[in-house]
Amino acid sequence: MDHKTSEEAALVRRVQARDEMAFREVVERYQSKVFSIIFGILRNRNDAEDIAQQVFAKVYFSIKNFDFRSSLLTWIYKITVNECYDYLRKKRVRKLVYESDFSQEDAQRMEASEPAVDGSVPADIRLAQRDLILKLLSKVSEEERSLILLKEVEGHSVEELAGMTGLNENTIKVKLFRTRQKLLRAAARLTRTR
Amino acid sequence: MHREIRDHIEDVLRGSQPDAREHLAQCDECRTELQVMQEQTALIRELRAPEDFAADLRPGFYARVMERIEAEGPISIWNLFIESAFGRRIAVASLALALLIGVYLVTSERSAEDVTLAVQSQPAIMEQTIVLGEDAPAREITRVDQSQTDQSSEDAVLANLVTYREQ
Repeated sequence: MDHKTSEEAALVRRVQARDEMAFREVVERYQSKVFSIIFGILRNRNDAEDIAQQVFAKVYFSIKNFDFRSSLLTWIYKITVNECYDYLRKKRVRKLVYESDFSQEDAQRMEASEPAVDGSVPADIRLAQRDLILKLLSKVSEEERSLILLKEVEGHSVEELAGMTGLNENTIKVKLFRTRQKLLRAAARLTRTR
Repeated sequence: MHREIRDHIEDVLRGSQPDAREHLAQCDECRTELQVMQEQTALIRELRAPEDFAADLRPGFYARVMERIEAEGPISIWNLFIESAFGRRIAVASLALALLIGVYLVTSERSAEDVTLAVQSQPAIMEQTIVLGEDAPAREITRVDQSQTDQSSEDAVLANLVTYREQ
C-alpha cells in the first residue's frame, strides 16, 4: 500500500507545512480513536483526556519526521501507546492500575466480597490480570507492543498490518512470534521471582 | 516451540489450523506454550475499550491541544538532556569524560615541561670544538648555545672563521 499518494498523505504534507486547519482536521479525525485507545489501556477517563492532548502535541511536533512508510493512524497509534506507557512509568504501574481501574460496580462487588454474578472473572482478579499483562507488555519494544496491540486489541489481520506498516506479511508474522516469545519468557521470569 | 506450530502460530491462536492438532496432541512443550500464549492473548484483548464506551471528549479539545502546544513550544535539544533521565546520564558521562581529558592534558603538559626543565638544568651550553688542523697555531674553542636558533649558530660559525683569519 502506498502511503505517499493517498488523500491522507496530502493532509499530512499540509500539517508538515504548519497548516493549522489541516492539523485541526487530523485532531478531529482521530481524537475519538486516540481517546478510546488510552481508555482501553488505562481505564481512567480523567487522565485519558490529558494523555490524548499530549499525544496530539507530540503529533504536532514530530510530524515533520513522518516518513509515509506507515499509515498516519498506525503512527498515531504508536505514539498513543508510548504515551500511555510513559504515563504508567511516571505514576508507578502497580499503584496506578489498582487505584484507577474501579467502576462503581466493581467497588460494590469487592466490598461485598462476592464473585461476579454473571460468572465472569471477579473484579479484583481482573485488575490483577490487567496489571500483569501491562507489566509484561512493558518488557517488549515499542514497535512490538504496538504491533501486538494492533493485532489483538484492534483486531487487524496480518495482511492488514502489512498494509498499515509497510512491512511484508512474513516480517509481521516473525515480529509477532518474537513478541509472543518475549511475553512468554517475561511471564516465566516473573513467576520465578514471585 | 516446534516449527509445525511456530510457522502457523497466528492461525493456531485463531483456531484455524486443524493440521496443528495432531502435533499438539503429542507434544507437551508446544501444548503448554500455546496455552500460555492463548491466555496472554485473551488478556491483551481485554485492553480494548468496552463496547459501550462513549469516546466523547469535552468540547474544546482542539483548543486545549493548541494551548498545550503553545505552552510547550518547540522541543529544544537541551530539553532532552535536562528532562530525561537518559539525557542526564549522557550529560554526566560527557562531563566526566571532559574532566578526564582535561586532567590528562594538564598532567601530560606538566610532564613535558618537566622534561624541558631537566634538559635545561643540564649544562645548557654544549661545547663544540672545531679542530682547525695540526698546523694551526692554536685551538679555538667555540661555545655554541644549543638552544639558540639556527641564525645564532651560523653567527657563531662566522665569528669562529673571523677569529681564525685574524690569528
